Amino acid sequence: MTSKQKPAVDPVIIVMLGIVFLAIAFALLVFKPNDQSLGFDAGSGAWNQLLVAFVTGITTGGLSCLAVQGGLLASSLAHQIEQDYVEQSAHHKRGNRLPRSNSAFPIMLFLISKLGAYTLLGALLGWLGSYLTLSPMTRAMVMILVGVFMIGNALRMFNVHPIFRYFSIEPPKFITRYIRRTAKGTDTFTPLFLGALTVFIPCGVTQAMMATALGTGSAAMGAALMFAFVLGTSPVFFIIAYLTTELGARLEKFFMRFVAVVLLILGFVTLDGGLNVLGSPLSFQNLTRSLIPSNSTPAPVSESTQPESDSDTIVLNVNNDGYFPRTLNAPAGTAVTLNLVTNQTYSCARDFVIPALNYYELLPDTGTVQVGIPAQKAGSQLFFTCSMGMYTGVIVFQ
Amino acid sequence: MIKKTFKIPDMTCSACAMKLESLEDALDGVKEVNASYHRLEMTIEYDDSMLTEEQVIAAVRKKGYTAIGA
Repeated sequence: MTSKQKPAVDPVIIVMLGIVFLAIAFALLVFKPNDQSLGFDAGSGAWNQLLVAFVTGITTGGLSCLAVQGGLLASSLAHQIEQDYVEQSAHHKRGNRLPRSNSAFPIMLFLISKLGAYTLLGALLGWLGSYLTLSPMTRAMVMILVGVFMIGNALRMFNVHPIFRYFSIEPPKFITRYIRRTAKGTDTFTPLFLGALTVFIPCGVTQAMMATALGTGSAAMGAALMFAFVLGTSPVFFIIAYLTTELGARLEKFFMRFVAVVLLILGFVTLDGGLNVLGSPLSFQNLTRSLIPSNSTPAPVSESTQPESDSDTIVLNVNNDGYFPRTLNAPAGTAVTLNLVTNQTYSCARDFVIPALNYYELLPDTGTVQVGIPAQKAGSQLFFTCSMGMYTGVIVFQ
Repeated sequence: MIKKTFKIPDMTCSACAMKLESLEDALDGVKEVNASYHRLEMTIEYDDSMLTEEQVIAAVRKKGYTAIGA
């Protein structure tokens, strides 16, 4: 169907708006913080990660996916939409009108199939990642690689240098040929099949999300992450897939620039998280720590629920929104006991890491865990972080 | 049969390569098309008794790209 043959009534718009609202409502329901119904480590960090995946999908993923997969969807639908239009025209001449449901139906089949396929792929990647994620250090390396990959893809989109073109993974020829030829079909099975096959032609943002799923080291979390991401992409994919036929490629360049900017930001955030988990003083958070005032600077915090501090004992509160204080002072030249105090803490701050000591512990949601820290030189620093590199802090030895 | 390589400077992603490879189905006389986004080029094998270089360039233009004979 060409844009000149635009039908007067467009139920597709109603359907796509419905999908947007359903997706948002579903996301709000599913990604509700502190809901532990899925059974995996449902700390708010995990839910935040899912929410970020969903938002990434709805903001950039859909547009980016569309650049790679949209043509296939459009070609698979073209005949059906055209046929639908002819049927509608015939009925219109006879004085009655058919609802244009056929054009929305295959797109929905395509997206549902894609959602299912990517969720399975996420589970597979997470499962594989459980063998690869041996330590927070491994996770840090994966995060750094993912960050570099995202930044490289963003720079590719900005056409900074030809070398960045190699950040785009080209699917094998036999796969693209097979998909292209399958896309010519017009039956119900075709969009279902084609939607599932999109796992073989992921866009740059999807590839980055797949790498993140690998880094989760959990089949459930990997599946949930990819589900959240693809769910986010779906309404955008649906809307743009439809509007593209109406607006052409006029807005494509604008969208691609937007995708590149968001990808660049996410890339730097991921890279920074990786550097945090490595305990690098070069991460953005660690570099800027002195510039941002830390609240409750004095190290010991005495409350009835936590142990008293003495000169060789320091106390760190592990809260849902990070570590307090973020900068701890400790005596140099003597062994120190670090008391990690949690109180209904469900965020990823529980996954406590001191990279330099190769210390990693999943803290109880409520309680105190003691960490023995060997004597450190005066002026030295020990960085600590959550296993995702989101929340950080430092112990300064004086 | 003749094999020709064209530079396609305006490819922007691997989807462009896939789009160009669909010339296999769109043009009579084409045996195989291999397009690479990494190298920004397209190699096409076609029957020169059925198709001319100008027709190939025109078909590429119709897809939204510029083909420059290497």
